[in-house]
Amino acid sequence: MQFLGIMAQIWSRYWTLFLKGFQMTILMGLMTVAISTVFGALLALMRRSNFGIGKFKPLRAIVVAYVEVIRGTPILLQLYFFYFMLPQWLPFMNLSEFTCVMTACCVNSTAYVCEIIRAGIQAVDYGQTEAARSLGLNSRQTMTHVVLPQAVKNILPALCNEFVAIVKETSLASTFFIGELMTQFRTINGITFRVLEPLTIVGIIYFIVTFTLSKFIAVLERRMSASER
Amino acid sequence: MNGNQEVIRVEDLHKSFGSLHVLKGVSEVIHKGEVVSIIGPSGGGKSTLLRCLNLLEVPESGHIYFEGVDITDKNIDINLHRQKMGMVFQHFNVFSNLTVGKNITLAPVLLGKKKQAEADEMAKDLLNRVGLLDKIDQYPNKLSGGQKQRLAIVRALAMEPEVMLFDEPTSALDPEMVGEVLQVIKQLVKTGMTTVIVTHEMGFAKEVSDRVFFMDGGILAEKGTPDEVFNYPQNPRTQEFLSKVLY
Repeated sequence: MQFLGIMAQIWSRYWTLFLKGFQMTILMGLMTVAISTVFGALLALMRRSNFGIGKFKPLRAIVVAYVEVIRGTPILLQLYFFYFMLPQWLPFMNLSEFTCVMTACCVNSTAYVCEIIRAGIQAVDYGQTEAARSLGLNSRQTMTHVVLPQAVKNILPALCNEFVAIVKETSLASTFFIGELMTQFRTINGITFRVLEPLTIVGIIYFIVTFTLSKFIAVLERRMSASER
Repeated sequence: MNGNQEVIRVEDLHKSFGSLHVLKGVSEVIHKGEVVSIIGPSGGGKSTLLRCLNLLEVPESGHIYFEGVDITDKNIDINLHRQKMGMVFQHFNVFSNLTVGKNITLAPVLLGKKKQAEADEMAKDLLNRVGLLDKIDQYPNKLSGGQKQRLAIVRALAMEPEVMLFDEPTSALDPEMVGEVLQVIKQLVKTGMTTVIVTHEMGFAKEVSDRVFFMDGGILAEKGTPDEVFNYPQNPRTQEFLSKVLY
């Protein structure tokens, strides 16, 4: 009971901090998903391109290497890397900590989104492409009018899942005191010397966000398969 | 056969998938208005040959002339030639993201052959001909297999092709739906459309074809009129195949 009492006290005294952290977390999540969707789509197209010098397909090779490296290293390491690397390599740009951390998040997420989009396109029956091509559509027309509209059904739910994952991963940015939820926990922890109570509050907020999103995804998936039936 | 105008000329066509040599030198000429059926055992190269005709499969060597133009030439815009060759697939491949009507109008409108309003009119007309007019605003997932295949046929016809290629159009259908699709093809053939059909429906091939090719082991092992091929086959492989097939 004492636990709940302290939690209520902390909430009533510091709710503005939690709110700020919540806003920051959502902002980072949305920005990351938006940016990485754009770049992920570009990379997915590069990954599928047939541009090559002989057997060697440079565009494809670059994307494959990028995706493998990003997926093969921890995101915390990537955060550190960009946090220290960017200001050192681009000192004239005066990059804020937030920019560096966001860059790391986007670079990380782009790799996953690229795979989501590629898989979504690949899952569309190849017969659809053949039928479109047999009518005389070129590959771009086939992509935009036949394949992509069908691929979106595979891509959207997976993209929302990625958003859920990113929302949770932004907590790692608290390492650099970016101001999202986990950072606020550390601030409040520093002021009050309480650990479990503020941590529980932060946990509840994270859970509400991700749970709402998952429910939303479930609805989205049901809607999309409904038009399939 | 009206006239003797060449539509498709195939010269010494070879195609391999990896180490599998599927087409081993096929040569043949198909004339305007001719109806040709290709029969033969699975794996004999029938579908591959048909798919080579509009370059869905790219042959390793040999030439395909369509209305006198070598479409195996790398500098040719194959998309322009594909517009004149309608193709119908075993698995229908109707566009599942588009309504029945839009399935038909997509290509003619996109490729500048027709304005949307004109194309819509044509779609109605075509759907009426195959008894699907009431489905025009539905999505293909609401259609049966036979309906999907009829839609696929008129979708190809909407491009007003010179040739129609059918790749086992009834093989994926429930038995009771085969008839309705064959009926549509029969109507089409009567209009004088140059047609190449890969099929396992021997009775149908016998009935509608001007010529029948028996394909086995990557070559056209026997060709002739339906009477010649079905009633007096010369090649022992043809005899063996036909004796095993019920029709």
